[in-house]
Amino acid sequence: MTDATGPVRIALVGCGAVSTHYYAPALQELQRAGEVVLAAVFDPDMDSAERLAAQFPAVVVADSFGALQAAAFELAVVASPPTLHASQSIQLLRAGRAVLCEKPMATTLVDAKAMVEVAAALRIPLAVGMVRRFFPAAEFIRDAIALGVLGELSSFNLAEGSADFGWPVTSPGYFQRQQAGGGVLMDIGVHVFDLLTWWLGEPAALEYADDAMGGIEANCLVSCTYASGLQGKIRLSRDAPLANQFTLRGSRGWLRWSANVADAVEIGLQGSQHLLEATLRRTGPAGMSLRLAAPAYNFEQSFVSQLRNVARAVRGRETLRVPASDALAAIRQLEHCYDHRSLLALDWLGDAEIVHARQLQQAMK
Amino acid sequence: MSETVAILGANGFIGRRLVEYLHLSDLAQVRPVVRRPNALAGLAVFDLDCRIADALDTGALELALAGCDVLVHCVAGDAKTIVGAIGPAYAAAQRAGVRRLVYLSSGSVHGQAPTLGTDEATPLRDDQPIAYNNAKVRAERQLRKLRETGDVELVILRPGIVTGPRSYWVESFVSALVAGTAALVDGGQGICNSLYVDNLAHGVHLAMHVREADGHAFLLGDTETVRWADFYRPIADALGFDLAGLPTAVFRPQRTRMLDRIELLQQHKVLGPALARIPKRVRRIAYAALVSSAQDSQQGSPWTHPDWSAGEPSVPEVTLEMELLGRCGYKLPHAKAQTLLGYEPIVGFEEGMRRTLGWLRFAGFPVITLPTT
Repeated sequence: MTDATGPVRIALVGCGAVSTHYYAPALQELQRAGEVVLAAVFDPDMDSAERLAAQFPAVVVADSFGALQAAAFELAVVASPPTLHASQSIQLLRAGRAVLCEKPMATTLVDAKAMVEVAAALRIPLAVGMVRRFFPAAEFIRDAIALGVLGELSSFNLAEGSADFGWPVTSPGYFQRQQAGGGVLMDIGVHVFDLLTWWLGEPAALEYADDAMGGIEANCLVSCTYASGLQGKIRLSRDAPLANQFTLRGSRGWLRWSANVADAVEIGLQGSQHLLEATLRRTGPAGMSLRLAAPAYNFEQSFVSQLRNVARAVRGRETLRVPASDALAAIRQLEHCYDHRSLLALDWLGDAEIVHARQLQQAMK
Repeated sequence: MSETVAILGANGFIGRRLVEYLHLSDLAQVRPVVRRPNALAGLAVFDLDCRIADALDTGALELALAGCDVLVHCVAGDAKTIVGAIGPAYAAAQRAGVRRLVYLSSGSVHGQAPTLGTDEATPLRDDQPIAYNNAKVRAERQLRKLRETGDVELVILRPGIVTGPRSYWVESFVSALVAGTAALVDGGQGICNSLYVDNLAHGVHLAMHVREADGHAFLLGDTETVRWADFYRPIADALGFDLAGLPTAVFRPQRTRMLDRIELLQQHKVLGPALARIPKRVRRIAYAALVSSAQDSQQGSPWTHPDWSAGEPSVPEVTLEMELLGRCGYKLPHAKAQTLLGYEPIVGFEEGMRRTLGWLRFAGFPVITLPTT
């Protein structure tokens, strides 16, 4: 079966785009390092599972989720459609397997809480794939906020989206409400909520609007108000060329981060004619010179770090950096938004179209 | 609402608005058809029966069109795709029992600067200097030939410069403004044969139903005669730019002709595939060398001060297409559409521009002011 001192044996549940493009190369890297071994894979599309398994030696390709559980592994990566995350994770936890669940951990808060409760009761690690928390830039921003580098925070603006949706989706199911649970808010918004909560705590109030008219949202706008008075706007899109930037303003200056750039930030000081464009490096012992400091992890390396953290937590060598209980806040905010949605201003529609659009959105509630 | 309408190329600028317009106006059961699953990202805001089918794959198209009454063909692409996407669509429509195919051709089958008096009866030529025009002419001819022996009725629409949310003509001008490369041909005095996208959608809806339209081609346009400056000015104003301050664009025939020739070469039956066999990297380097403007590659001395050493601003260049469009002196008529289809534009130019600017703001472009309603 499993060797508690050797590489952590992993099963991959779901062999779609995220597994193919992110988990497979991360697993190969960690397998080379002797940290993990990919032991089994499952996807209802057997061709996808076979293709992924072919990149690794001696991987069991299970023909059902039940058959997968018969394989010998300690940690399951659940990367199936979001509406399956909760049920599959809970089954795996009850079978004694640790779980790294892709984001969003669940499509409802009830399901997310159930996952956390099962993991806690059984004392089995349950992590959530909030890879952005592993970005050096995200850690740097958290530190800058905590130290008050920007002074009293006044506002933030986050815009993320492009005109062409580039994610290599393999099935139309990705865009169906029954499978996906939601659109751009469920997909990207959950990352944003998680990071903002990690950096700033939970907002006191959220206002939300999107363009879902019976389907899933391609665009949304979230207005956040914090107890401190800090105000923020989050604009996400799957079809508009947005700035792909997060800008946080405070009394002493501002900080800007390009979404998904793991290792760089820009900082400006209040009243200064110059700004700092910074590439992050990893500091070692105190006093280490810049010349000796290694480059900070990039996006791909951060992804590897996330998987390594969970594998090491399974062995008891590290604590989970994003335990599922930490990810509940993002799901709570997600659910609040969907429950209180209104129609975005779609200025190009005719009057009768807008009336119908509102009816279609209303019918979703 | 009774008929089921398949929109082939539903994720494009026109297809997207057609889906919205027909669905939100309760005019038809809409079935978007796209080539790849990720092209559904924007369309998925609606709960529609979306299908995946390559426009070049007759079998996949036939499945996607099963049960549809009308096919609206608005596949965009290069010249090869424009022509290649005709035969499979008509054959699939025939097999699926589709009643009518509405094809979105282009007013540019008459050239970018048509001569006075041009209308639907004017003979078409496929030896024009712009590959797109020739491809649209060939596509129309192919469809007419298929209609001679096929059962699927055919209506061809020839829209002018289609404007509105997501329009290439809007986005490219905004991008040029922001990048500092915007320029006007002939001071913007040429006629822009504008057609607000909702007017086109309205025309499509009429073309789906009017029985007498079968076998006909129709030019479509806005009511107003719009000059390029009229079209550009509200956009520039909304973004805080002064249209009058834009430089005059320069057309360099020799260089542009070379690029046009390459484009035509790529369509050649024998030379096209041969060109494709040249390693992509080599092609890219050669192409970049041709299209790139002469940039100052000198590194300069460390003493060179940027405040006064930026050099002369480069003169914006335009393509042959834009040069011809910018000097167009004729508004294409839509009298035939008025008579036979009962077409009258449903959105005026000003209102269309107001909606377009609203979309620009929605899409994150740096809109400063919007006109009041």
